[in-house]
Amino acid sequence: MMTSQAQPEKNSGKSVGAVRELSLSYRFVRWLKSLWSLNLLLGALSLGTILFIWEFAGPLGIPAIKDVPPPSSVIAAAMDLLVSEQYWTGWGLSFQRIGIGFLIAQMIGIPLGLIMAINRFSFGTIFPVIEILRPIPPVAWIPISIVFWPTREQSVVFIVFLGAFWIVLLNTIGGASQIDRRFKRAALSLGSTPKDLFWKIILPATIPSIVIGMAVGMGISWEMVVASEMIAGDTGLGYLLWQSFQIGAIAHVIVCMISIGIAGYFSSALIRALGGFATPWRRLH
Amino acid sequence: MTAAFSVRMQWLLRNPRIYQGMLGIGCFFLAWYLLVDMFGVWRFREMPKLVVGIKEWLNPDPVFGMSLFTAEYYMHIWASIYRVLIAFLVATLSGITLGIMMGWKRIFFGLTFPILEVLRPIPILAWIPLAIILMPGRELPIIALTFLAAFFVTILNTLLGVQAIDKVYFRAAESLGFSQLQTLWHVIIPGALPYIFVGLQIAMGACWFSLVAAEILSGNAGLGYKVWETYYYVQFPTMVSTMATLGFFGYISSALVRMAGNRLMRWREEMLAGI
Amino acid sequence: MMADIGELSIRNAGKIYDPEGIHLVALEDVSLEIKASEFCVVVGPSGCGKTTLLNAIAGFDQLTGGEILMDGKLLASPGKKLLPGPDRMVVFQHGALFPWKTVMWNVTCGPLKQGSMNLHTATEKARELLVRVGLHGIEDNFPEGLSGGQKRRVEIIRALMNDPKVLLLDEPFRALDALTKSVVQEHLLELFDFSPKTIFFITHDLEEAIFLADRVAVMTTRPGMIKKIVAVDIPRPRDYRVLTSNRFLELKAELGEAIHEEAKKAFEAGERELA
Repeated sequence: MMTSQAQPEKNSGKSVGAVRELSLSYRFVRWLKSLWSLNLLLGALSLGTILFIWEFAGPLGIPAIKDVPPPSSVIAAAMDLLVSEQYWTGWGLSFQRIGIGFLIAQMIGIPLGLIMAINRFSFGTIFPVIEILRPIPPVAWIPISIVFWPTREQSVVFIVFLGAFWIVLLNTIGGASQIDRRFKRAALSLGSTPKDLFWKIILPATIPSIVIGMAVGMGISWEMVVASEMIAGDTGLGYLLWQSFQIGAIAHVIVCMISIGIAGYFSSALIRALGGFATPWRRLH
Repeated sequence: MTAAFSVRMQWLLRNPRIYQGMLGIGCFFLAWYLLVDMFGVWRFREMPKLVVGIKEWLNPDPVFGMSLFTAEYYMHIWASIYRVLIAFLVATLSGITLGIMMGWKRIFFGLTFPILEVLRPIPILAWIPLAIILMPGRELPIIALTFLAAFFVTILNTLLGVQAIDKVYFRAAESLGFSQLQTLWHVIIPGALPYIFVGLQIAMGACWFSLVAAEILSGNAGLGYKVWETYYYVQFPTMVSTMATLGFFGYISSALVRMAGNRLMRWREEMLAGI
Repeated sequence: MMADIGELSIRNAGKIYDPEGIHLVALEDVSLEIKASEFCVVVGPSGCGKTTLLNAIAGFDQLTGGEILMDGKLLASPGKKLLPGPDRMVVFQHGALFPWKTVMWNVTCGPLKQGSMNLHTATEKARELLVRVGLHGIEDNFPEGLSGGQKRRVEIIRALMNDPKVLLLDEPFRALDALTKSVVQEHLLELFDFSPKTIFFITHDLEEAIFLADRVAVMTTRPGMIKKIVAVDIPRPRDYRVLTSNRFLELKAELGEAIHEEAKKAFEAGERELA
């Protein structure tokens, strides 16, 4: 069962720092066992129950849910969509919009945030303007966006940009201003120049906050892209969802919902993984 | 009384931040005026003009029918606020309750967290079709959507808040002989409050976001709906005032939540003052 | 047998973390007899297991070997679920005063929750004890507004208010600067003289141990065992001048060698600071 290696050293009946080294195979077996945990069972139980109720809502006569297509027809609709070109083009286009809008938001937001955190004058002048514009929901900007930008594509990307921009800006400012003063002082007393200070102290210390801003911003971006596509788009997953609703193909709607959810989940997870990459000193946690 | 007030005013007036702020905002409006009203540079030509927008808003007899002086304005404001209020309240009560239960009892967590994690990534707006199908009338789906956005955020932040409570406080409560209920009331809830209120502010923002989108897609009244209407009927000056109104109420509602939080967590004043 | 007087009997206590896996032996065969109303201090290097022993008595951790008896009755043994309680009240290392409650609430919550005192009695007694340690007028403050030394005193008072049979202190003065530490130590001794209780105090500071204790027990580095027990026969009441008395220096020499030996072993074993 367990194959431990070094036996604790015994000298005069005492073991100094008696900790055993565990073999790889033993650790793997223990990891497997931990998966089969109570949490997993409970999760399976609750999800299973919900799926069951959903599937048989019709025959069981449950009021509202029976009007929703059951999981079986959702699966059928999924089969339908997974082979349709429109679906996969939709994925591509939505991702593309997210990618561009999100990236631009980072490219403008991070430098601006850093500048505002370092330079008090820029903070004092720019922040009030931000605070005025930020409370206006990005979705409310859609009409202006359509009017201003020559193409639909650009207007959708703009909304995605806007949603992510506020988040990344605030997180960057927050992260950069919270840097422990001791780090800066230590650096200065070790003789670093302002340029050094920025690149080697401020920037790396802000990265965790930036990463959080990116992860949250990514989630928001998906909300934005779906909103803009539903309201003002003519392609993309969000548009597909709304279209399916207009023609009454509710099972297709549900498939789109799940697809977007999956897409959003993986984008956020990707960002978080990349973030872990960029902050190796935190990976011990 | 007045002495203290004038000291405050002096401090305020000497603070460079005020002037920087005025400079920034001034530049913003100046840029708007120059780019759109005056010179009409590139695409800015098509945009709503600043001066015209303000004039229309302050016009007792507005060209496009809505201004500070018309009843319609307040009708839309109330329609939106009413929805946000209900949705936010229900989301707060249910979200905090669920979040605390999840943070407190493992079994509850095990049962509910998977469902939450499955549903959460789905963008709120994607729920509109289902909301419209499942719920009668026009109001309810919009309120439900607004509720949903705030609900997820609140649960998550409450859960984080409970989990973030230093375990030593639980040990102290055990040593002191607190019952389960006493621990809940005196340790868990106050301990989680900071995170809860951060969550509530985000939730308020989320409310307005989903409200506007839901109103655009299926409403017939409300500030979000009006923004779309002004676009559709090319009533640009009114579009600007509506957007500004949205921003205003969004800001006020978040600020109110924040102030409520500060009152409830007065112990933090001393802590934060130390920083 | 005897009335409940707070006599602690630790026999062959052992604690192994993760016996099937990494098999970390924290305590091995620890035996110690503590008489009623005795101030017993356990000294040892960081990571030697003294906190584990305290946790076993308090009920935060379960033994895997041996047993602990209090007043002749079995308190802790392997497999016996021991709950923490006010009869073995703990004063925590980094402080566990509830930051969201006032000092008065923190101090009186124990007896009030158990119904052993009514509000009036509790408040009066609390005030009396607080004044005794030099704190008056701070009852309505929040803990974050207090200094480190003040917080530690309040936490000790909180523990005492519950009239515990054994008072457990987990390196409580570790984070205080040397000057504050000596003042707070004197206050603790005053409280002890005024109303003697069985005290189980752990620390890594030898001088603190000798200054406070009736008996000092030296614990070896991991796995922890009691290496040496020395009675401190310096008469009470003691004040800071004791620290330079001959008897004190003799005791320090006697215990110093044992401690230093363990400290070196711990250092070489690369113990990470557990605080």
